[in-house]
Amino acid sequence: MEAEKLGIPSVVIATTGFVTAAQLAAKSSGIENLRVAEYPGAIAIHAPGRIAENIATVLLDRVIQGLTQSTPASMADAPGSGKDRGKIVFAGTLEEVNRFFADQEWTDGLPVIPPTLEKTERFLEYTLRAADDELAVLAPGNLRATLPNVAANAIMAGCEPRHMPLLIAAIEALSEESYNLNNMGSTSGLLPYLLVNGPIIKQLGIECGGQLISKGPNPALGRAIGLIVRNIAGYRPGKNYMGTFGYPLIFALAENEGQTPWQPFHVEHGFDASSSTVTLGVTNNWGHAPAPSSAPDKNGAQITLEVLCRELSKRVRLYNLPGHGENAERAMITLLLSPPVANSLAGSGYSKQAVKEYLYENARMPRRDFEWARRYTGGTRVASSEEHRDINAGGHTQKPDDLIRLLSSPEIVHVIVCGDPNRNRVMVFEGGHARPATKEIKFPPNWDELAAT
Amino acid sequence: MEIFEVLSPAGSEIIKRKSIAPRLDNFDGKTVGEVWNGVYKGNDSFPALREQLKQRYPGLKVIPYTEFPFRYGGDTLTQQKEFARHIAALAKEKGCDALISGNGA
Repeated sequence: MEAEKLGIPSVVIATTGFVTAAQLAAKSSGIENLRVAEYPGAIAIHAPGRIAENIATVLLDRVIQGLTQSTPASMADAPGSGKDRGKIVFAGTLEEVNRFFADQEWTDGLPVIPPTLEKTERFLEYTLRAADDELAVLAPGNLRATLPNVAANAIMAGCEPRHMPLLIAAIEALSEESYNLNNMGSTSGLLPYLLVNGPIIKQLGIECGGQLISKGPNPALGRAIGLIVRNIAGYRPGKNYMGTFGYPLIFALAENEGQTPWQPFHVEHGFDASSSTVTLGVTNNWGHAPAPSSAPDKNGAQITLEVLCRELSKRVRLYNLPGHGENAERAMITLLLSPPVANSLAGSGYSKQAVKEYLYENARMPRRDFEWARRYTGGTRVASSEEHRDINAGGHTQKPDDLIRLLSSPEIVHVIVCGDPNRNRVMVFEGGHARPATKEIKFPPNWDELAAT
Repeated sequence: MEIFEVLSPAGSEIIKRKSIAPRLDNFDGKTVGEVWNGVYKGNDSFPALREQLKQRYPGLKVIPYTEFPFRYGGDTLTQQKEFARHIAALAKEKGCDALISGNGA
């Protein structure tokens, strides 16, 4: 796209299913009608002979057309284009509104509450910001977030007006450069998640205990972020939001600050304990929750650490570190520890930082297993000479049974104490491309009164 | 039956767009650069495409992807744009009349 801006005609090769994603990325970057040549099928699973045949019979002509003809047959519409923002766009019954919104791809497939002007204005009473403020510009669509469109998504999701300050902070976090929302359309299915800290947890009744993502306002808050990612960031499943098997609904966590033995997440990141924050993280998975126990020969803390190391060795995104060295994509690990597990670790003398450092030192896998995974499952791998140069430059050893490190730093590990306070379980999330982004929630002066309504 | 007058939840656009650069009239004596993003078998596909292009247009010069840098990873938007500008400037410096980039998947 930058070449086009310099006057150099270009064509982008994209595989089947990714042509629209390339066109939308170009539109969001300011280039109209980018030429894309479609390679037929999933190239990563094709043998060299089939690749050569597809190029000779299909791709070659498409590349030539892309460099010599300027008018493509059809183009994707950018998600935010062509509509009148902040004004009434439709009037109808509940069913008609839902049908219209579904036709516009504004819903997540579930029914929504109609975002009327009256409801929206009520939501705006719960913020410090002016109605026409630009809250942020969200990638990849490079679309403007304003109070009315944030409120509309919140209403659709089933949120209450008093959730607005939290959602505005979440929008600010989504727009952080380090959070890298721009890169979340990956076929691996990267899912943002929400973490809430501080007094707002109690004030709004946000669940931090057992079954937390399924209780209280947590589902509506997560759903609102999902709708914002769709409608304001501009991610559309199958167009530029390419998770191979789709996405579960975005979930919301809150830390159990009353039962953690350590500083809560936001204090660890420099915020005052009396402030309330929202953090955006990312994960590829929700899933298995192992239950570390104690045994005659090892205590609960030691077994927990070993369980976490074993869990980490299954997180393939971490294989990028030995594969690419300093050029590895960013990985982000989140540990959910139930209070009994966290207290077992603390009781054995482990600070949160000590847990991270233990994992940094001990989360390893045999080089043989790493080599197999990289060789046979890495559709995204670079040339092997580059890989091996980086492995060796990183000081990794050479024998098949030698253990190679998986974490680039203790700091990519994030610990959240939450979940059932009576159960000893952990869950390990792996996410990529992002660092968590935390923002303080700003409240209007009459917040206590508003929050109580 | 209740009628709801509703607002749009969509973000508003801020980007002004430019049209793509003029296309090539032909490939005679032209130079085309390959830009690989380091993924999805570009090390197989670009050599095969290069061979086919040269067969069809014997006067065409192709600068292989190995002559351009590539970077793998989850760069931020700013880093990605800077890198893309660097590649585009390099293509200009190397005399490229056109670029082929890939592989998107």
